[in-house]
Amino acid sequence: MHEISVAINIVEIAEASAQRNGTGQIQLIKIRLGEFTTIVQEALEFAFEIARQETLAAHARLEIEIVPMLVECLCCGAIPNPVRDIVLLCPNCGLQLQIVGGEEIQLEYIEVG
Amino acid sequence: MERIAIQTNVLKANQEAALENRRSFEQEGLLVMNLMSGPGAGKTSLLEATIRALQAEYQIAVIEGDLQTDLDAERIRALGSRAYQINTGTMCHLDARMIARTLVEFPVQELDLLVIENVGNLICPASYDLGESLRVVLCSVAEGPEKPKKYPVMFHKADVVLLNKTDLSDASGDDLRELEKNVREVNPRAFVFPVSCRTGQGLDEWISWLRARIATH
Repeated sequence: MHEISVAINIVEIAEASAQRNGTGQIQLIKIRLGEFTTIVQEALEFAFEIARQETLAAHARLEIEIVPMLVECLCCGAIPNPVRDIVLLCPNCGLQLQIVGGEEIQLEYIEVG
Repeated sequence: MERIAIQTNVLKANQEAALENRRSFEQEGLLVMNLMSGPGAGKTSLLEATIRALQAEYQIAVIEGDLQTDLDAERIRALGSRAYQINTGTMCHLDARMIARTLVEFPVQELDLLVIENVGNLICPASYDLGESLRVVLCSVAEGPEKPKKYPVMFHKADVVLLNKTDLSDASGDDLRELEKNVREVNPRAFVFPVSCRTGQGLDEWISWLRARIATH
């Protein structure tokens, strides 16, 4: 349950950006959340309800885009998605698969006004 | 309505603090191990065995992270090594800023190895870089062989995975083999050491590996 510290980080970054731009209330916060992270969407949404209180984001909506986990083989170029059972071995050549998507916890933009 | 682009990692504040920590560790030429596992996998027992084996050759100190109590730090001090206890209260992981604050009171110059024993938890510590140079994950056979698949991020990011309590493996050794297979599927690049901190089985291989890692750091 570290979603609360993540939610606080989200609000802090959003607030700092809104203040830099000299704008008022934050209406929307858009984040991209990878599948291969330790963050659970529902827990983050719940934590955000708490973290946003008495901030510029008090009435903001949190929009979460889930980014699927994507892998590729750097050796033979295979792109065996979706990964089944989190086996990160190339089904083609047996070497290690590289994770190229799904690890992000990224704040994309805010909407203010 | 106005849209402001941000494009920032949400964990940026921690990443920046971790970078600072890493820079100061590198300046000291210090090897720093972030030791992670679920509760009761045997982190402190592993540290006791490791310190006993290496303390004649190397200066080792430990930062202990727990929600409450300084029992683990006491166990390390009983061996004659320095230990600093962080109590996180309700926090489920250590973060880079906690380590930075600790370093003010707990000097790490003159050390060869600093071990940070994280809060017992296979989830949250995986997301928080502390500035370490070595990520070690410990998992006991007694926890069940499916753990690497249930907590893949933790196992995927490890440099080393130790499989503890091999003395509790079933007679056929099937559960240990299954656990090792699952680790390798989630993380093909990790060094894997089956050990028993109780009987000492397998510890020599781990100690030799770590000794070489300290010597070449």
